[in-house]
Amino acid sequence: MKLPAVSILIIFFLLPPVSSHAQVEAPRPVAAHGQVHTEMIRIPAGKFQPFLLAADQKHERHVAAFLLGQHAVTNAEFLQFVKANPQWRRSSVPRLFADNNYLSQWAGDENIGNAAIRRSPVTNISWFAANAYCKWLGKRLPSLDEWEYAAAARPENADPGADLSRIILGWYDHPTPAILPAVESTYRNTLGLWDMHGLIWEWVDDFNSVMLQGGNFYCAAGSAGTANKADYAAYMRYAFRESLQATYTVGSLGFRCAQDIK
Amino acid sequence: MKKILTIGAITIGMIASSCHGKQLATNRISCCPPTGTTAPVTIATTLQAQSSIYQLPGKWTDEHNQSLELRDLKGKVRVIAMIFTHCTYACPRLVQDMKAIADSLPAAEKNKVGFVLVSFDAQRDDPAQLARFASQQGLDDHWTLLHGDPRQIRELSMVLNVKYQDAGDNTYTHSNAILILDKQGSVIRSLEGLEAQTSVADNEINRLVNR
Repeated sequence: MKLPAVSILIIFFLLPPVSSHAQVEAPRPVAAHGQVHTEMIRIPAGKFQPFLLAADQKHERHVAAFLLGQHAVTNAEFLQFVKANPQWRRSSVPRLFADNNYLSQWAGDENIGNAAIRRSPVTNISWFAANAYCKWLGKRLPSLDEWEYAAAARPENADPGADLSRIILGWYDHPTPAILPAVESTYRNTLGLWDMHGLIWEWVDDFNSVMLQGGNFYCAAGSAGTANKADYAAYMRYAFRESLQATYTVGSLGFRCAQDIK
Repeated sequence: MKKILTIGAITIGMIASSCHGKQLATNRISCCPPTGTTAPVTIATTLQAQSSIYQLPGKWTDEHNQSLELRDLKGKVRVIAMIFTHCTYACPRLVQDMKAIADSLPAAEKNKVGFVLVSFDAQRDDPAQLARFASQQGLDDHWTLLHGDPRQIRELSMVLNVKYQDAGDNTYTHSNAILILDKQGSVIRSLEGLEAQTSVADNEINRLVNR
């Protein structure tokens, strides 16, 4: 299938809903995090070649060791967060922090409804909601570089000749299923991370660092070049990120948390 | 995924057809180049009055080393931009454009409008450096310069819809926008690009001051 990249950029134009005013507080720390326990995998330090390069950037960047969630945050896990932080309920969240599609797959404010999606990745969440969830657990969203670096690891049981970008493009070829499969249902990579490709897109902390267009948008660096023009899958990810705003919620966009190593 | 693509394709169709007529009434950046201009497009986007950005929690420090929260900016119309003081290219232009707006305000409005610069550079733009910059640039007490931690800076960029990237070596690649906030802190207008739009800003400020 040929994907018109431009149409991805067009989500940019989808209008957000009319707003309502509400006051929101920072998520309050909660001692008991219920059943929220996701195994954190240690990602060793290493070098990484970013797909997009600003004109004055080094071609290789160093990523320090960090921890990354073994799988994406599930609906059931996110429900614990919403219960502990009612300002993040579907009916309470201010439009500043999420559009009106937020958690639209749930049956109610604190009710997932469909039991089949409890262990599926939570989607239809804004960057602000993902950011708040990770903060609540004393964690953070991974940076774009961290995520790309960790996601570049090969499937642990891949054939020696298998090409990761082919696997990813195969996923892009299929529509998002009405009911997302559970986490840990696609593949585990050599780092021990599940579903880095093939299940959902994932928010990264600095998704708004992606600037693909040239022109008068830039300060110092001028337009960005791509390190590997053949990596169409990476181009798709970056184009998708560029098209997002922090309030957007998308049915195939979820997240996982990262953490510094103390 | 496919759903997004389909929606995208439909949307582009709608936008393409509406580009021939009147300017799109949208609160996103319009795809339609303003008629009659060939220069790089300066986009003045009217943003629908949404929720106040003063809902963002967190303490900032100004150039006088005073601690404040964003909600302390409430009550005045605010003109705000994100910059870093070591920027040699775009940021001086942004500050110049904001100064031009400040200088063009009628006397009756001057004390009802505040100008805010927020730095991307949490490391080097400490309050002392911000004070130096304010003095170099001749910024008077209508200006507030803010230093925050990297988390807060990223969150603020999200509500202002300013894109930026730490390009290494303490330089930042960023989109150039001057935002006009109403007295409650809702982003009312985003002036994007590097061309002074003083009269557009003046009209908007005048409307908001008297609202």
